[in-house]
Amino acid sequence: MDAAALVPCTMQVNGDARTCAITPATTLLEALRYTLGLTGSKQGCDKGDCGACTVLVDGVPTLSCLTLALACDGRAVTTVEGLADKGVPHPLQDAFDRTGGAQCGFCTPGMLMSAYALLQREAAPTRDEISHALSGNLCRCTGYTKILDAVELAAAELRERAK
Amino acid sequence: MSDGKPTQAPGTPPAGMAIPGNRTMPKEDRLTPPVWEGGRAAPPNGDFRMIGKRNRKVEGLAKVTGRAVYADDLVLPRMLHAKLLRSIHAHARIVSIDASAALALPGVHAVVTGADMPTHFGIIPWTEDEQALCTDKVRYVGDAIAAVAADDERTCEEALKLVRVEYEPLPAVTDIETALAHPEWQVNEKAGEGNISKHVRLEFGDVDGALAASDHVVEGDYWYEGSTHAPLEPHCCVAEFDSTGFLTVWSSTQVAHYLHRDLAKVLNLPTQRVRVIQPVVGGGFGGKSEPFSLEFAAAKLSMVTGRPVKILYTREEVFYAHRGRHPMRLRYRTGMTADGAITGTDALVQLDGGAYSSFGLVTTYYSGQLLTAPYALPAYRFDSTRVFTNKPACGPKRGHGSVQPRFAFECQLDKLCEKAGLDPIEVRRRNFIGERTKTVNGMRVTSNGFLECLDAVERESGWAAKFRRMPYGRGIGVAGSMYISGTNYCIYPNEMPQSAVQLRLDRSGRATVMSGCSDIGQGVESVLAYIVCEELGLDLRDVRVVAADTDLTPVDLGAYSSRETFMVGNACLDAARHLRLKIAQTLAERWGVAAGEIVLANGVACASSDPGRFAISVKEAFQWAEARHGTLGSVGWYQSPKLGGEYRGGTIGASPAYSFTAHVAEVECDPETGFVAVKHIWVAHDCGRALNPVTVEGQMEGSAYMGFGEALLETQRYKDAAPGHAFGLHHGPSLLDYRMPTSLDTPELHALIVESVDPEGPYGAKEAGEGPLHPSIPAIANAIHDALGVRCDALPFDPPSVMRLLRAGEARANWERARAQVGGPR
Amino acid sequence: MLTLPAFAWSRPQSVEDALAVLAAHPGECLIVAGGTDAVPNLKHRLHEPRRLVHLGGIGELRGIRAGDAGLEVGALVTLTELASHPHVREHFPGVVTAAAHVASPQIRNMGTVGGNLCLDTRCTYYNQTFFWREALGFCLKKDGTRCHVVPQGKRCVAAHSSDVAPVWIALGAEVEIASRDADGAVSRRSIPVEAFFVGDGVHNNVLAPGELVTRVLVPGAAYGLRTSYRKLRPRAAIDFPMLSVAVAVRGDAARIEELRVVVSALGAKPRTLGGLDAIVAGRAHDAALAEAVGAVAHKQCHPLSNVPYDTDWRHDMVPVFVKRALADALGVPA
Ligand SMILES: Cc1cc2nc3c(=O)[nH]c(=O)nc-3n(C[C@H](O)[C@H](O)[C@H](O)COP(=O)(O)OP(=O)(O)OC[C@H]3O[C@@H](n4cnc5c(N)ncnc54)[C@H](O)[C@@H]3O)c2cc1C
Ligand code: SF4
Ligand code: FES
Ligand code: FES
Repeated sequence: MDAAALVPCTMQVNGDARTCAITPATTLLEALRYTLGLTGSKQGCDKGDCGACTVLVDGVPTLSCLTLALACDGRAVTTVEGLADKGVPHPLQDAFDRTGGAQCGFCTPGMLMSAYALLQREAAPTRDEISHALSGNLCRCTGYTKILDAVELAAAELRERAK
Repeated sequence: MSDGKPTQAPGTPPAGMAIPGNRTMPKEDRLTPPVWEGGRAAPPNGDFRMIGKRNRKVEGLAKVTGRAVYADDLVLPRMLHAKLLRSIHAHARIVSIDASAALALPGVHAVVTGADMPTHFGIIPWTEDEQALCTDKVRYVGDAIAAVAADDERTCEEALKLVRVEYEPLPAVTDIETALAHPEWQVNEKAGEGNISKHVRLEFGDVDGALAASDHVVEGDYWYEGSTHAPLEPHCCVAEFDSTGFLTVWSSTQVAHYLHRDLAKVLNLPTQRVRVIQPVVGGGFGGKSEPFSLEFAAAKLSMVTGRPVKILYTREEVFYAHRGRHPMRLRYRTGMTADGAITGTDALVQLDGGAYSSFGLVTTYYSGQLLTAPYALPAYRFDSTRVFTNKPACGPKRGHGSVQPRFAFECQLDKLCEKAGLDPIEVRRRNFIGERTKTVNGMRVTSNGFLECLDAVERESGWAAKFRRMPYGRGIGVAGSMYISGTNYCIYPNEMPQSAVQLRLDRSGRATVMSGCSDIGQGVESVLAYIVCEELGLDLRDVRVVAADTDLTPVDLGAYSSRETFMVGNACLDAARHLRLKIAQTLAERWGVAAGEIVLANGVACASSDPGRFAISVKEAFQWAEARHGTLGSVGWYQSPKLGGEYRGGTIGASPAYSFTAHVAEVECDPETGFVAVKHIWVAHDCGRALNPVTVEGQMEGSAYMGFGEALLETQRYKDAAPGHAFGLHHGPSLLDYRMPTSLDTPELHALIVESVDPEGPYGAKEAGEGPLHPSIPAIANAIHDALGVRCDALPFDPPSVMRLLRAGEARANWERARAQVGGPR
Repeated sequence: MLTLPAFAWSRPQSVEDALAVLAAHPGECLIVAGGTDAVPNLKHRLHEPRRLVHLGGIGELRGIRAGDAGLEVGALVTLTELASHPHVREHFPGVVTAAAHVASPQIRNMGTVGGNLCLDTRCTYYNQTFFWREALGFCLKKDGTRCHVVPQGKRCVAAHSSDVAPVWIALGAEVEIASRDADGAVSRRSIPVEAFFVGDGVHNNVLAPGELVTRVLVPGAAYGLRTSYRKLRPRAAIDFPMLSVAVAVRGDAARIEELRVVVSALGAKPRTLGGLDAIVAGRAHDAALAEAVGAVAHKQCHPLSNVPYDTDWRHDMVPVFVKRALADALGVPA
């Protein structure tokens, strides 16, 4: 495929099959934000240093600013817009809102994706485990305290719900 | 270098017919806010129902679901993208600019340069020394010269490479010493002389006499390294100039009002045909409190092309926009009596301002003026000089101007305590300045909860069992501070209110608050909503806040100086109380009860004497009031009382209320490597009243975090010059090289709210956004001393520096001596 | 945004296809696996290839297999997979520590073993945007003629910065390289990881254009070695190493039979300390022995100014980190 030509790229985005026409030099973050209009994922550095652009690719937290969109052809991508269930915020989102985990909110979508993946694999993470799981997501506002609180709270509620 | 289309707005009067400008406003008495029965602090309906509760924020769910719209989320039809051409020299004359090749590139729509908008601007009207794009000279690596609008960013970049700039390099100065030694290498021609940006010297009381009479005098030299805000959202704006000659700019600013004025001025447009809208902003911390090249360039390019234009700074450009913490060299002499009373303080301060003035005039004053509480300083002198250097301009970063002197002073206190053999918390108590008092430089202090702050951190940290009692390598330290809740004057002199709110009630039961205030994550929009809910008995979801849109909202000066909660909160309180009164009177009339009996709470309006009989929904109450009074709306505004000392500069640092903070930090140091791990910071902060404890704690934790980051890790440094290197290159303008702490580095932060209930704040509230940063740095320095016996007088306390100190002095012996002093178990 | 340069795209499904693409476009391709090094470098215009060859579709390069001959780790195995693999965790804790110390969780999810091995060297004058490097006047590694670290030098001394490579070397691991000859025949050869690296910061490995790393092989003889890894970094996540130390010991604290210490983030290739046998063979671990090993390390390792933080201090940290890593490997307090 040559450099200038637009090529189709089909991904399962938040459950929907979405096809976009992009050049090979398009990152997943650009495709999501500017081609598909999913602006929830944020760009804070554009080169892997901040985590604001974290999305799930086949369920795995991935930096979309370092991922070439074409490398996701045929794969499933989940963004912050895909966490709510028919408009009802996911317990994790709700917990962030209640505990003050989002101040300016710019790190929040990426934080949520890292935290979501953690809770998928570990229902009862320790505070230290949460801290490790979020260590690739910088937050400039909160000092992380309320973010860790939020994940703990959501984990507890999800466990309660699963009973 | 436009493409030739007219850029004057239709309707602008032809030259010669302009209305004379610069007419001074009539000098009237300052507006005085209304006085409410029971005062501002009292709950309107018996007890607080919203205030003081752990509430959500109004925009919280939008943020957590990804629906919140930030500037870069905006896309307009036919929108172009633009990028700035930046100087690769730290200091050079611009000989010529040739953009013809760039303009010829397919996909390029326009190129503009400084000549297209040469008007100088600056956030402080007395020091307007910036241009949207440089015309004659560039003053730092990254100074903007030209802007290109094209179909996409990559085309912009290609075009930028085709712009030919001929420079004549000039000698560059990149530190304070060189700037002072070489006045002939003038960085900024607006400087009065040489490279002096501002000099302030003020003396209160007999400092030399006081120091001479002291039992202990400590003299110390300190270095405060520069750091930057690094909000996670890079600066971004979209500008649209429409065919009616109206300019709309969406910008990630924290001061929409000042941007509004400067856009009109620089672009030569009537102010009333410019609209500034602040979308959701991803953090500011002071870094977005001035207009920047991007807003002017996008606007101009939109005027030239007739299409909307977006500019998004790269992370690197955010480091060049800077306006961060000034590097400061500080020398202090401080005296104390044998029993721990501070006698006098003499401060000599030099500020490295970078290439432009920014808020520098104020910073220079703040570097001295804000030290005079929470301790009584009987005699105090400061001499502060800000210099220009060929680096990005420094400005207001969280705790503007006073974080650096606070660091030096609190370390001085610790050294004095050590000399006198006294407990540092005890000494801080002993020097408490008190409430309802005046500082030595004439600042009025109203409420003051500093003693409670000290008590809280002493208790929660387990101070008594730890100070001077932990094994080598572990330590604990304390520091205190104060900060302003807004300043008492607008940046440009005028007699109009500093904050305003318009409130309207709808018969549907909804309230809409409109204000020019700026929410940058600190939660001021929610503060307005909480106040309206409290006064009118509404649910949070029934209030809409419309903020920072100069077409829709009355002027508020924006998010700086920790002014929002206090000032716009007061404005909102008044607006809501006016309407509450109308409603109460309406209901009282209908029910034949006293207006004072009316309670609006939890969606119900009732008479407290007989709620069983006299009760309707708040929505119905709105309808009754609308029927009685017509459409329901009100305004509220805030104007601070006349404050400050009776001397030149005496109003700078004057605030209607001061917040107070104490920190205790606990560290674990590795004497073999010099690594310092901060384990805990206990942050006690007197915020007057916590309107929402969640957001107040968030500000306290975030502040302590940011202070901790600059103490240990973060530096806005520049590469040393060497053969073959350019001067003044940022050491690494990225979030990889500028190391803000991750979740794993951050200490456990313990927020301890203290409420002194200020008589003038809304429900007694004061600021919480900046004050709690200050003590982090000295508390950590003092803790390192307790741990290792070394004094960290220069930031950052990084492992190489700590190791150097450990090797240089007799750390262990100092440590033993300090321990012996405090003696056995208490 | 930081734009990417324009490039064409290939996504081969097999090693053979990949080699064919590389051969069809000689000198024009950049291989991309996880992209966590390549993409930032592209955005900085440090690489300006005409074509990207993305390895993601090559199933053969995935997977970790433990057999009689030793451990095989596919080039596309992610660092997260490596660090959480039960067999690796049981036998090679040093590998796990190193992999778990790379960057951040997301980057470990993306970054691959092959990419980590082939990681471009790093330097504060190089890992910067095009604008910054232009203001600097560029440097010998890219677009310029002068080195800002060793101004008289003719060679780039950018730092080898892979966390895992030093442990591979300490274990005596080999790297398998696939190439294609002029007739299109595909062949594979294995060389010690140590020999994979060369002391040239511009291109610090022996990989020829058109070649591919396919696997890392840990020999059976490495089983039973005690391994550890220590990394000097300012923050507990995200940061590249400012100094790294890998240790492999045969024996135990009471009697050390053989010791390998590899130190990196110094110059363009990891440094294996020499002359250790004479000090340690047959001896028990004690303070004096640790001190002696530290002294050797201090003497043989010379950090440069292209990695952040004071050079002298990093030099001083070499023995400290070596002693600590040795103690970790032996399971004794440092
Ligand atoms: C913020 C940040 C921090 C980082 N911190 C660290 C760190 O602390 N320690 C560390 O070790 N790394 C670090 N990295 C670098 C990198 O993430 C890892 O080393 C990762 O393992 C690289 O793997 P990759 O698959 O992403 O490599 P890619 O980026 O895909 O490739 C890297 C290089 O290897 C070549 N390559 C890849 N695979 C092959 C192959 N099979 N055959 C031949 N050539 C190949 C590519 O052409 C490219 O030149 C960091 C990166 C970032 C962005
Ligand atoms: S070591 Fe020298 S040549 Fe190599 S990247 Fe650094 S400055 Fe350039
Ligand atoms: S935007 Fe992707 S990591 Fe910062
Ligand atoms: S909430 Fe602002 S960066 Fe995290």
